Amino acid sequence: MAKVVVLGAGISGHTAVMVLRKKLGKKHEVIMVSPNSNYQWIPSNIWVGIGQMKPKQVIFPLAPVYKRKGVNFKQAIAKTIFPEGDTAITNPFVEIEYVEEGKKGQKEKVEYDYLINATGPKLNFAATEGLGPDGHTVSVCTYGHAAHAWEKLQESLDKMAKGDKQRFVIGTGHPMATCQGAAFEYALNVAFEINKRKLMHLAEITWITNEYELGDFGMGGAFIKKGGYVTSTKIFTESIMAEYGIKWIKRAGVKKVEEGVIHYETLDGEESTIEFDFSMLIPGFAGVGINAKNKNGDDISAELFAPNGFLKVDADYTPKDFDNWSIKDWPSTYQSPKYENIFACGIAFAPPHSISKPFKSKKGTPIFPTPPRTGMPSGVMGKVVALNVAESVKSGKTSVKHKASMGKMGAACIVSSGYGLRDGMAATMTVYPVVPDFEKYPEWGRDLGYTVGEPGLAGHWMKLFMHYMFIYKAKALPGWSLIPE
Amino acid sequence: MIRKPIAKGYKDEDYPPIPTRTNRFMRKFWPYQIIRFFVLNLKIMRIIVGGHS
Ligand SMILES: Cc1cc2nc3c(=O)[nH]c(=O)nc-3n(C[C@H](O)[C@H](O)[C@H](O)COP(=O)(O)OP(=O)(O)OC[C@H]3O[C@@H](n4cnc5c(N)ncnc54)[C@H](O)[C@@H]3O)c2cc1C
Repeated sequence: MAKVVVLGAGISGHTAVMVLRKKLGKKHEVIMVSPNSNYQWIPSNIWVGIGQMKPKQVIFPLAPVYKRKGVNFKQAIAKTIFPEGDTAITNPFVEIEYVEEGKKGQKEKVEYDYLINATGPKLNFAATEGLGPDGHTVSVCTYGHAAHAWEKLQESLDKMAKGDKQRFVIGTGHPMATCQGAAFEYALNVAFEINKRKLMHLAEITWITNEYELGDFGMGGAFIKKGGYVTSTKIFTESIMAEYGIKWIKRAGVKKVEEGVIHYETLDGEESTIEFDFSMLIPGFAGVGINAKNKNGDDISAELFAPNGFLKVDADYTPKDFDNWSIKDWPSTYQSPKYENIFACGIAFAPPHSISKPFKSKKGTPIFPTPPRTGMPSGVMGKVVALNVAESVKSGKTSVKHKASMGKMGAACIVSSGYGLRDGMAATMTVYPVVPDFEKYPEWGRDLGYTVGEPGLAGHWMKLFMHYMFIYKAKALPGWSLIPE
Repeated sequence: MIRKPIAKGYKDEDYPPIPTRTNRFMRKFWPYQIIRFFVLNLKIMRIIVGGHS
């Protein structure tokens, strides 16, 4: 009997655990360690943040699903990995701490044959003074944050209804933050809601971003066919912003937030401020802070994890100039080079470098987006890792024949505003591959047949459809495995 | 759709392309959007399936 432990019931880890359960017989144990009792479909948090959905519509309890499927669920936080065991236990194990009522604070050593780390990001609000729900801005990164954002947004909408002007600032809250797509979507939704109430004349909406140009999205932008031209996503994104009445500040690294004031530095080294009444800024991401120790109890975290806290996998981490970057640097099996029975998928793996060109301001501050690992690639990685682990368990020998590199994978980002079948509008963006491949596509870096930017109701329907479809899939209801990641 | 009247230019937000009335109509025209719904779904399916082995 083998024991497979998955850390983190997010898009990537939940996919992995369900695939493992499907592929492995009941004699093998599949364990999920995750602190939240609920699964959350994060993309729909945007709708929670504008009051179109209640938090309960984007979540469901995990325990009944795992019970039905035979997954051993431990509502806990993974603290330390012991890949070689310790002086008392010879098998590898992970030390966890329960957060579940009744067991809170209890520790346990969970042994494993294979370990999959899918713990996603730590929302690093602390890296920017005054940022986040405990500071002066709101967030939509969790359903709790999104519900709080809606409360704050309502206060501004109420003030506008009484005739007061309001300033909205939405974007990235750290010089190296990623997830621009989510912030962009929220900005459009806020504009849509204000316009719906016919209050646009009282609103000043500003998009603040660390991107060199709008439409970079941490992927170095993309090129799409539009109106008889191949145009950049810069034009596409700026056009949407202008249409929605949103101004922008680009190449800006937010460094500090005070009550009603954001301090930022731009690439030309200038320090500026912008005042706000309502602000939603995405924090920087880091690894969740899991440690690693060897048999003797010495800290080996630096051997397993990159300095940003994400787990090192089969990527080429050799520092290289931007011009020498290649899709070959990107991992495809997500296996730790140090321990062959440890894997990391989704946001938890350490990317070899950014996808966008790294820039430093005149004062030396790095201001550029780190690479996004969006939902679709995170799900695919979870599946591929689970398939390799399941086959390794069955054959008794570790093998990694299933592969999925971000240099060969596509991603879809649907930025949708409004709600309902007739009311909404979306900008659908797909890129293929995520990491541009200038060897295969020398001119544009990507396949122009599958790299698309298109506004319209169709994308909005897709977003709604995906909400119900992916929650159905995550609940492991009949036919779930036929729904793609 | 929501654009405020601007005519004088000289600000970043005054230069991007703005959709014409026909373009805006097509974005909401159900028969066309139903076709686009299937086309976009097919493209996404293709990039998911092609993305891993
Ligand atoms: C508002 C918003 C909108 C988005 N919209 C889209 C979209 O439209 N399309 C798209 O493709 N992507 C979208 N994304 C990105 C997408 O949500 C992420 O790419 C995806 O959630 C990453 O999956 P993951 O499993 O790696 O991490 P997560 O989903 O963050 O899951 C990580 C899990 O690990 C758990 N965990 C954390 N620490 C520990 C620990 N120490 N031990 C055990 N478990 C732990 C967490 O509780 C969580 O359950 C959006 C993101 C946001 C914030």
